[in-house]
Amino acid sequence: MNILPIISLSWKNIWRNKTRSGVVIVAVILGTWAGVFMSAFMYGLSMQYIRSELVNFTSNIQIHTKAYNIEPMPEYFIPEADSIIQVLEQKAYVMEVTSRTKVSGLASSSSSTFGVTIRGIDPDREKKVTQLYTFMKEGDYFEESRRNQIIVGEKLANRLNQKMRSKVVLNFQDVDGNISAAAFRVSGIFKSPNSMFDESNVFVRSSDLSRLIGHPGAVHEIALLVDNFKNAPTYAKELSFGDALEVQSWSDLSPALAYTDSMVGTMLYIVMTIILIALTFGIINTMLMTVLERQQELGMLMAVGVNKIRTFSMILSETFFLAIFGAPFGVFLAWVGITLLEDKGINVSAFAQGFEMYGMGTVIYPELQPDYYFNIGILILVVTLIASIYPSYKALKLNPVEAIRKI
Amino acid sequence: MSIIQVRNISKIYNKEHIPVRALNGIDLDINKGEFTAIVGPSGSGKTTLLNIIGGLDTPTEGSVNIHGTDMFSLKDRKLIDFRLHHIGFVFQAYNLIPVLTALENVMFILQMQGRPHKECVARGMELLKQVGLEDKVDKRPSELSGGQQQRVAVARALASKPDFVLADEPTANLDSKSTSDLLDMMLQLNELGETTFIFSTHDQRVVDRAKRVLTLVDGEIETDEVR
Repeated sequence: MNILPIISLSWKNIWRNKTRSGVVIVAVILGTWAGVFMSAFMYGLSMQYIRSELVNFTSNIQIHTKAYNIEPMPEYFIPEADSIIQVLEQKAYVMEVTSRTKVSGLASSSSSTFGVTIRGIDPDREKKVTQLYTFMKEGDYFEESRRNQIIVGEKLANRLNQKMRSKVVLNFQDVDGNISAAAFRVSGIFKSPNSMFDESNVFVRSSDLSRLIGHPGAVHEIALLVDNFKNAPTYAKELSFGDALEVQSWSDLSPALAYTDSMVGTMLYIVMTIILIALTFGIINTMLMTVLERQQELGMLMAVGVNKIRTFSMILSETFFLAIFGAPFGVFLAWVGITLLEDKGINVSAFAQGFEMYGMGTVIYPELQPDYYFNIGILILVVTLIASIYPSYKALKLNPVEAIRKI
Repeated sequence: MSIIQVRNISKIYNKEHIPVRALNGIDLDINKGEFTAIVGPSGSGKTTLLNIIGGLDTPTEGSVNIHGTDMFSLKDRKLIDFRLHHIGFVFQAYNLIPVLTALENVMFILQMQGRPHKECVARGMELLKQVGLEDKVDKRPSELSGGQQQRVAVARALASKPDFVLADEPTANLDSKSTSDLLDMMLQLNELGETTFIFSTHDQRVVDRAKRVLTLVDGEIETDEVR
């Protein structure tokens, strides 16, 4: 069946009423642009949140002993941690590695006591993996080489009534199960985006803490950043250091983040579908008007021998042209906008307080996976097909004899 | 030899409620090359008869045979295809496709038949020449007068070399000059090409030029005059 004359006729038909078709096409362009750009904004926001959480707190992959994961006791340190770090540093996808001595304990001042996680870090390595040093409000980030310095969160400092240079006593268990205590001097106060984190974590040098727990050089946690955090689960499966150690990616360590990551894709399609459904009604309305206006002509076509498939194809093509003409342009405009702003970002400082609560900056960098553009194209095709069904059905239901006589 | 055989055609509208009998046992034979006018007062059944002969409407009873094919035994799709290949239509309101030029309007039927583009163009040009519009091939309907549009409609009806052309009040919207020109042209096509024309009309000028005049009254053929 030669369908080309019908398609050619459809193309000419959509320009019959230039204003009406133009309005629909502009609506499709704006709708598609808004949908795709909004999706990029939402995706950028989500990715920023995830990245911020990973860089500030979780990192991409962590290694612990299995026993430590069950019960974080000081004696469950990683044997031969240095050689594991060396192996990790050989991997092409590993960008940065750090090790931590990590125990639970109590932080006491003269006025009160709080339960905390004591994180013994290698300041230089930690700087490359997490952003603690950027959150310093007072003091410095282990710049002095003196022993037993401690960095505390602002919230904890307030609760303990501590200031710079104040003394904090940490109580914790050593590797032999004995309770130890040591006095630390506050050398810095930080304020991260996560106030709960600030309240329950203190930072000391790993060398100080491992010595105090009775096993100099003890490492409980190895944290690393990889080339792309999305690949971390795959890399984590690939890494194996014997049965005693467990390698976990950020999605294992933080299921909430993993859920956010998996849901954001679905959310984008839901948003886009809602926008497209709204557009669909506009297109259906226009096409219904077209069919009603052209009843006489459609009746004539049926009378002279244009069959139902061709009539259906004609209305379908017209609907398609309206959508397909506008949609790629809308997607292109969105792509241009995203490309221009993916480095510059969008300043949302008006809502900065809200975003900061979630550890995000005031500038959002829109971004979108390339496959999203392709999938949007498929989605538009499907939605357009659906939009064309009802007007086409109305055209097919016309009785040629009655339609020809309508003026 | 008759190309159309209408046998005992009746058409009753609104059968369930208040039945209106539009046609009542019509028997009719149309031979090749006839130039037939169907006349009668409004409501006499002219258009209904034309629609039934053209396969656009179905009779309540009776049959229509075109070249031995019982039209109403054909399934919907076959019937549409039959119309495309065997019947030409001319409508009162011309019913040209406004976005197509005169040539494209004529070519459209041939394109629907799947004829090669070159053939469509050649046939379209030939027909537009025959109807005296060779200088208007690129004009759209809105750029043509009523008479010219109806000539394009006649050319379109003839494009597929149909067995016959059905014209429902083709001169109703035309002035005297256009009517006269259109009739001259159609008679010429009838005489030269042996094209069979069947009209429904109120127009005495058409009746005067017809070679056969069927008068319908209350759904029945009252007179059948061959001139």
